[in-house]
Amino acid sequence: MSINIDQALQTFIAEARELLEDMENSLLQLESSPEDAEIIGAIFRAAHTIKGSAGLFGLDQVVGFTHIVENVLDRVRDASIRIEGDLVALLLESRDHMTELVNVIADQGGQLDDAALGREQALRKRLHSYQGVQAGHAAVVVEPEIESSGGTVAGPDNWHLSLRFDREILKNGMDPISFFRYLETLGEIVSIVTLPDAMPPVEEMNAELCYLGFEINFKSDADKNTIASVFDFVRENSSIRILPPHSKVAEFIDLIKTLPEDEKRLGDILVTIGALTRQELDEGLNAQKNPDGSTAPLGEILIGQRSVEQEVVQAALDKQNQVRESKSKENKYVRVQADKLDELINLVGELVIAGAGANLLAQRANDSSLQETTSTMSRLVEEIRDGALKLRMVPIGDTFSRFQRVVRDVSKELGKDIDLVISGAETELDKTVVEKIGDPLMHLVRNAMDHGIESAEKRLAAGKPVKGMLKLNAYHDSGSIAIEISDDGGGLNRDRILQKGIERGLVQPNQILTDQEIYNLIFEAGFSTAEAVTNLSGRGVGMDVVKRNIVALRGTVDLESAAGQGTTIRIRLPLTLAIIDGFLVGVEKSSYVVPLDMVLECVELTESERQGMKERSYLNLRGEVLPLVPLRAHFEIEGSHAKRENVVVVQYAGQKAGLVVDELLGEFQTVIKPLGKLFSNLRGISGSTILGTGEVALILDVPSLVQQAANAEQKISQAN
Amino acid sequence: MAKTILVVDDSASLRQVVSIALKGAGYEVIEACDGKDALSKLNGAKIHLIISDVNMPNMDGITFVKEAKKLPNYKFTPIIMLTTESQEGKKAEGQAAGAKAWVVKPFQPAQMLAAVSKLIMP
Amino acid sequence: MPIRAETRNGICHLAIEGEMTIYTAAELKSELAPHLSEPKTEIDLSGVSEMDSSGLQLLILAKRETSRHGRILHLAGHSQAVLDVLDICNMAAYFGDPLIISSNA
Repeated sequence: MSINIDQALQTFIAEARELLEDMENSLLQLESSPEDAEIIGAIFRAAHTIKGSAGLFGLDQVVGFTHIVENVLDRVRDASIRIEGDLVALLLESRDHMTELVNVIADQGGQLDDAALGREQALRKRLHSYQGVQAGHAAVVVEPEIESSGGTVAGPDNWHLSLRFDREILKNGMDPISFFRYLETLGEIVSIVTLPDAMPPVEEMNAELCYLGFEINFKSDADKNTIASVFDFVRENSSIRILPPHSKVAEFIDLIKTLPEDEKRLGDILVTIGALTRQELDEGLNAQKNPDGSTAPLGEILIGQRSVEQEVVQAALDKQNQVRESKSKENKYVRVQADKLDELINLVGELVIAGAGANLLAQRANDSSLQETTSTMSRLVEEIRDGALKLRMVPIGDTFSRFQRVVRDVSKELGKDIDLVISGAETELDKTVVEKIGDPLMHLVRNAMDHGIESAEKRLAAGKPVKGMLKLNAYHDSGSIAIEISDDGGGLNRDRILQKGIERGLVQPNQILTDQEIYNLIFEAGFSTAEAVTNLSGRGVGMDVVKRNIVALRGTVDLESAAGQGTTIRIRLPLTLAIIDGFLVGVEKSSYVVPLDMVLECVELTESERQGMKERSYLNLRGEVLPLVPLRAHFEIEGSHAKRENVVVVQYAGQKAGLVVDELLGEFQTVIKPLGKLFSNLRGISGSTILGTGEVALILDVPSLVQQAANAEQKISQAN
Repeated sequence: MAKTILVVDDSASLRQVVSIALKGAGYEVIEACDGKDALSKLNGAKIHLIISDVNMPNMDGITFVKEAKKLPNYKFTPIIMLTTESQEGKKAEGQAAGAKAWVVKPFQPAQMLAAVSKLIMP
Repeated sequence: MPIRAETRNGICHLAIEGEMTIYTAAELKSELAPHLSEPKTEIDLSGVSEMDSSGLQLLILAKRETSRHGRILHLAGHSQAVLDVLDICNMAAYFGDPLIISSNA
């Protein structure tokens, strides 16, 4: 059970984060349309849902804080307070704090640090000023214990319950028998008398009404409120009387008097069920006949407070009419755990491979009908694969919209007025890619705001609108997704970049470069042209890191810039990381896959070059030194050297290397299967795939191989 | 045969926890994420009790209760409304629609179980 | 038709099938009422799958109506659902019929 609860808690965390994101977006929208009831409703609902679910997990810290936020939002909703800039800012900060609270939960055993606690105090204080007069919690009126003021103490240590229900309760789905079954969980029903006296003759009797009354002798250690709460749902219009143990005889007598049934009959019943002795009853009834002033009705713990409840209902209904209902967007989703999807995709991958195997066998068997069947199956399997991969596709919009807040906050920080325009939000890409693109995008956006868009004075002087514009755009382009970050700032300073490139030794002084090549220099390590290191950029993370992250996703990044008009950075990413266009090569009997986009060219080694390789591990490729990585040696493959050897020239991050292999087997699209943890330390391999023949092919980790080759070359040149 | 309960709330985690508590006590549970979804689920298995939130997208709890009560198979089914302190009005509206029982959010699983057990035993 | 009726040896035999709950109460009552004028009636409850207060109420109504006119009503073959209700409401003695308590009750 605790495992289940833990799973539910994970659901809560994911759900709360999603709601907090929605809440943020809605709050930002609210700035421009403060009167929109629908947006206000959505914000309220987010806080409301988080509070409700958090309560279930006993997350008091979340409940406590969210309760205050919800309270303020409720007042916004019923128009008691108006939305203005300060309030939106406060709510945004509160939302951030809620996110922090949720993060603390996610981070099991974590606690808010002092700074966060301090922030919470400050937020509470500020929220408090919007809360107005506290409505207070629903008052729980605990009726005072009745002091015994003389009179005979009756009966054994048991409760007495006298129940006459609202006639309508059965129609409302409430069954007295269910209440009794529940009572039995609180104690023991010592005896019970069912009174059908109120039931009219057959002709008048309505079978859907409840005519039965009950007198119950109940033994329990539960307190008054607990027992009374059993009848919470039927209190209205019912007469529920509960006499605690040791109640005075006078109270029973009063009970008898006020119940509809015959006095003598009720008296007998009370005696039968053990609430009173015959003597107590007789004495009590006699005492009632000679009232001495102590017969005021006492002892009713719970009575039908009809008049009061009626008022509450009316007030509530009045209030209700002021509350505007909000509808939300159609949202029909099935929530599936990501790892289940991954598992499915993995299985589909195996299915593709198994299908290819079957295909191969069919071809060998030379059975045309079998071939036809397997090829139909292969087509279907491929459709399933595409379908399965699509399941993991998510629109990039959610990632984009996170930047609304970033742009808002950063532009305030920088003192610049900048608008964010989003387009192509519906463009879909693989969830695994989306998760990894957030950080590089964040860096590029901040960079564009900080360095790209000029200050208001400069913009005015250049005759541009004071308000800067940042655009995020996404679209599909031939099997990949392109994401563009453009600003309407000053553009890159070509000459400055070139000068800096020369200073850093990245460019030879006499080298002739295209504008494009010069711009792309900013992606080189340690390159920064900003004259002033501002608070935002220049924190050590340069554009080179951005580029490396993107390349690690098998993506590319390039840049366009026009002086005085702005800069556009374009990122291209594969739609999914699960499939790779590979180049299959063979060494002895093993097969390896090289990601196709890293392959530059293939050359066959001449006999003399093969001889030379024994002494040096590089090749003269058209006058250029190409470090070589013989895969045979790298993977310690045994066996005689092949008759012929080939070099696959690969490139990563501007560095080239040649992979020496036996055979070139051609292009090949394949599903990547990640390697298990066991192989995580293996160098030079990034994954595996299974060929149609059932053989395993390893996917080469080109970046690490290139790195290795470059290092080896450096060592040699140093040694020389 | 175990009694079946329909839990209607837009929060998946709330449904999950309530469902764990109820199943632990021996009830069968069916979940729905909003009023519309819940209405479609009433046509399936026989449901003995409904727990519904008020504030939900697509179809709110009040509308759902009104619609459910119109169905011959559900006109006498007990309904527990999930209300909040700040929504006393909703509680009254829910009662008028036919949801005579309620549990105030935020609640502990044990409180929900108590409310349910008062109305039906598993 | 949740009630089957047939007369054998001058006794009206009724058998109630299915639920005796608020959902069926109104229909059951209208079917049951005409038979209450028989001099001797026996109701077979072995087919009662579920029972609530409204079902109990109907049985009480039948018992009261018949005894008021000096007629005889017997309940027989109580199913577990019926026994449970009679037990919790302490009504077995009211009907005065022999009950077969199953061993697992």
